Amino acid sequence: MRIQLLLAWRYLWGRKQRMVLTTLAVVFGVTLLFGLNAMIPAMMESFRYNMVTTAGKVDISISSESNNPFDQSALNDLSEINGISQYTGILTKNVVLPESLGGSVNKLTGASAVTVTGVDIATAQKVRNYSLNEGRFLEVNDTYATVIPQLLADKMELKTGDTFVIPSSEGVAKLKVVGILSLSAAAGLDEIFVPLPVAQTILNLPEKINTIDILIKSGVNRDKVVSSILSKLGPNFKSGAIQTGEELSSALLMGESMMWLFGIMALAMAGFIIFNTFRTVVAERRRDLGMLRAIGASKHTIMGLIMVESLIQGIIGTGLGLVCGYLFCLGLLSGVGNIFAGLLRVTIGTPVITSANLIGSILLGVGFTVVSGYFPARSAMKVTPLEAMRPTLAIVEYRQNNRRAIWGLILLTLSVLGLVFGDVKIAGVSGVIFLVGIILIAPVLVKPVAVFFGKLISSIYPREGRLAQGNLTRQPSRAAITASSMMIGLAICIALMAMITSIEHGFMSYLDKSLGTDYLLMPPSLVLGGGNLGANQGLIERIKSIDGVKEATSLRLATSQVDGSTLQLIGVDPLVYPKIAGLEFSEGNSDKAFKAMSKGSAIIVNGVFAITNRVKPGDILALKSPHGVKNYTVVGIGFDYLNAKIATGYISQSDMARDFNSESDLLLLVNRKPEFTAEEVTPALQSVIKDFPTFSLIDSNSFKTEQMGMFKMAMSVFYLMVIMLAVPGLIAMANTMSINVIERTREIGMLRAVGATQTQVKRMVFAESVLLSALGTTMGILVGLFLSYLLVKAISVIGFKTDFYFPTMGIIASMVVGLVFGIIAAMVPARQAANTVIVEALQYE
Amino acid sequence: MATIEVKNLSKVYGSGETKVTALDAVNLIIEQGQFVAVMGPSGCGKSTLLHLIGGLDRPTSGSVFIEGSDISKMSDNSLTELRRRKMGFIFQFFNLIPVLDAIENTALPLILDGVKPELARSKASEWLNRNRLDGRGKHRPDELSGGQQQRVAISRAMVSDPVIILADEPTGNLDSRSGDEIAATLRKIVTDWKRTVLMVTHDPRIAAYADRIIFLKDGKVVDDTLLNGSNGDNAKRLKEKVESL
Ligand SMILES: Nc1ncnc2c1ncn2[C@@H]1O[C@H](COP(=O)(O)OP(=O)(O)OP(=O)(O)O)[C@@H](O)[C@H]1O
Ligand SMILES: [Mg+2]
Repeated sequence: MRIQLLLAWRYLWGRKQRMVLTTLAVVFGVTLLFGLNAMIPAMMESFRYNMVTTAGKVDISISSESNNPFDQSALNDLSEINGISQYTGILTKNVVLPESLGGSVNKLTGASAVTVTGVDIATAQKVRNYSLNEGRFLEVNDTYATVIPQLLADKMELKTGDTFVIPSSEGVAKLKVVGILSLSAAAGLDEIFVPLPVAQTILNLPEKINTIDILIKSGVNRDKVVSSILSKLGPNFKSGAIQTGEELSSALLMGESMMWLFGIMALAMAGFIIFNTFRTVVAERRRDLGMLRAIGASKHTIMGLIMVESLIQGIIGTGLGLVCGYLFCLGLLSGVGNIFAGLLRVTIGTPVITSANLIGSILLGVGFTVVSGYFPARSAMKVTPLEAMRPTLAIVEYRQNNRRAIWGLILLTLSVLGLVFGDVKIAGVSGVIFLVGIILIAPVLVKPVAVFFGKLISSIYPREGRLAQGNLTRQPSRAAITASSMMIGLAICIALMAMITSIEHGFMSYLDKSLGTDYLLMPPSLVLGGGNLGANQGLIERIKSIDGVKEATSLRLATSQVDGSTLQLIGVDPLVYPKIAGLEFSEGNSDKAFKAMSKGSAIIVNGVFAITNRVKPGDILALKSPHGVKNYTVVGIGFDYLNAKIATGYISQSDMARDFNSESDLLLLVNRKPEFTAEEVTPALQSVIKDFPTFSLIDSNSFKTEQMGMFKMAMSVFYLMVIMLAVPGLIAMANTMSINVIERTREIGMLRAVGATQTQVKRMVFAESVLLSALGTTMGILVGLFLSYLLVKAISVIGFKTDFYFPTMGIIASMVVGLVFGIIAAMVPARQAANTVIVEALQYE
Repeated sequence: MATIEVKNLSKVYGSGETKVTALDAVNLIIEQGQFVAVMGPSGCGKSTLLHLIGGLDRPTSGSVFIEGSDISKMSDNSLTELRRRKMGFIFQFFNLIPVLDAIENTALPLILDGVKPELARSKASEWLNRNRLDGRGKHRPDELSGGQQQRVAISRAMVSDPVIILADEPTGNLDSRSGDEIAATLRKIVTDWKRTVLMVTHDPRIAAYADRIIFLKDGKVVDDTLLNGSNGDNAKRLKEKVESL
């Protein structure tokens, strides 16, 4: 081992530039992998922290299967059950505080939200222990009174006797602080306690609770009690606290797998680069290796030597990559974090390093490097001692690549067939197959592409162009590998750009469709659900009564489960909603669907849900509700802009009130009468809104601009990532070019000796590099188009109905990037080549 | 027991039309402490003979015995070990590892054999000193002249106390003065250290340092002469012989 370490280290040190470049590739891959994956958990954690209520220290918590509120009459059923010692009903919900009510003050939990918990004063203290620092607990005669935790009191600068104002379905609720709780910070959430009827009013859920907390008698079997409770209450209940934020979590999980994909792709490129480098290393050192064999190094020693070298680079690269990844994540979080904070009213903390991410990044980073070193190491092992005896010549490849090319062709055909016949899953596989196919076929492409572009270059620099072309074609495999890593980079760029272009086009039309109204009354957080607090009928009535308002309609919210997966339900008015806003339908048509909806028990689902649950119009969905399982008929597949990413179903508001106990308006859409101007109507709306501070008034045009701005910002993060993915391609090129120059020092010296000028040598290197990048770009564009078609298809299948837009910009950008990369990659090597000292070059060993 | 014994050794490259018989049933016995030079026209099989004796290549037929054991039947691993312990190689192109300094290059066979680094280094610098490279131990090959590089290579060949030193045109890449120095160094190794040296050369002046000259032609031994005159006489005699053959 010692000898391998010594030699490996010395060889690496002896070729610093190359070591830096190859290691950089690993650093880059690990940075992406680790950084991106540290971001997702950071987001998830924030969500959990902000949205999920903690269960508290009770023996059993009962909530409805669908996480919706249920009738408090359910409590009556519990009195007969054996084993229960105490129980109490609770209504609890997160409420986002608008800035006017001090929402921005709350910096600690990150979210400007409090959890409002309504407790039954008679029974609450029997079940949970509320220890007070100051004041008293709620008493039977209290109405708008509250006890708040110390932490919140400190932040909001409240003391007993003060008034705490929170949004309410009636507008605002002014709560008198009667006591301060000594809840530990570990409880995390800012949970305030109010009398149950008050909570029911604030949340517009009369007679409803959503959790029953239960203490059992000592010595009884908890599981037995749970099952007798559940059998008594029926199938609509479950044991466990209510869970919110699930829909978003699943969207984030999807994001997480995307991030892994990105990281692995970057690492795969790094793998190519390392493979390429070590192949050259082995070729370059054949004589050294032969000599080592001659003086008694065993085959395993030789193999070990190369492996140790790649291991060193893998370890250094991965280590640096982890550090850079962390920094990258910090940067991303502060960038994306802003968008998130604006969109969801959730602040995102620091990168979260999960052990899975850490171990995965290390294993993949080191693993890819070592595996990429393995094959060259094996060929090093096969170097015979006799190689030491022969004079070295620059390596020329005579091997035929035809067999591989045929395999490549077969794979390409298969993948195209897969595209024609297959569904999305097969399409994904065929994307990979296509990539492999093109990599296999690449060495054969080298010659024609080099000849074609060589002609172009030759027309500018006749002599150098020809030389460069010859240099490139004498080692088609290496050229192909370099070009392949560039190809992967560019292909991904093009595919992503195509996707972005397509989404951008789609986005515009959703925005127009979904926000076709003049005004929006928006809750604090754009993504519905979570901590948004709706308004009761009062708001919409007052708005309708304003002179100059033509129509107003609202969206309501509930959640349900179908076959175990969460479904967000949006309640719309089937008569007014399609007139004012409407949905984008991918199956079924608007008129029929809403007509069916107004008859009741009909649902329109969005694409995300339809795909994941294989639902089509005409199917019957069994939705879990607080009143048991309800059957709804699917009457169409369509979506609005706000809920495109989350599994969503649209039902009528009357169905929602009946089955899901939800009658709060979360978002209001308002149209002006054409004969009125904005100046006349807006002030009237604003004065109504004043009494409902959770809502903000937005005029659609400015909202659209704002949304486009946010979208552009999100896209710019995307573009950044796209560009970062192209960087390894540049590294690969620079790497190959400098290897080429080092390897041909002798030849270059000879050329100089026989009269080539420095400029000519430089041009030769540049020409070769540009040829190489032309090859990479050509393949990249081919694969990129294929991939982008796949991607767009895949997106439209999961719910965004997106048309394929030919990524003209992406292709032009790629060609420019390819050319620029070709030139940049050759800069240092070209200077090196030009500065070759003739005598030294001829002595070079 | 002879140090090297070659029996009916043949080596054939290729087959059919491109078949080349590089060695044709060669028999040789070389005793310990002999300095043997192999001469002959280009392509006569000199290098091939050296490779087979050094266990770098396998014969088509016949066998090579090193201190009585048949190396043509050995596994790759035992051959490797044999090369490491019993043989030293000197190549025409010096073949030093460019990224290691002179001491490290010299110590390579010992390090490969698992000898402690300190011991390996001290042995290596002893040999470098013996070969008049004192103070050059920290220099990398590109900082040394061709002759110096070759003396590092000789030090490397000697460092593991091998029985046999094999050298293929060790002076082929050097000017005549450096060439003489190398030949003299090899001579010393035989006289002072009683090693067996087998050297391929086409230069009569260099061959004249040897005790015995073997002439090859078309893969066959055509002449086998012991030298006992002065260096100058020997060189003259050899030159005539080369011309006559
Ligand atoms: N790997 C090989 N494949 C085919 N033929 C070979 C191979 N190696 C050597 N030969 C042939 O074997 C014969 C002997 O080669 P060898 O290298 O032993 O000659 P040599 O005496 O060392 O010549 P020189 O003085 O030029 O080095 C030559 O005709 C050569 O062409
Ligand atoms: Mg030879």
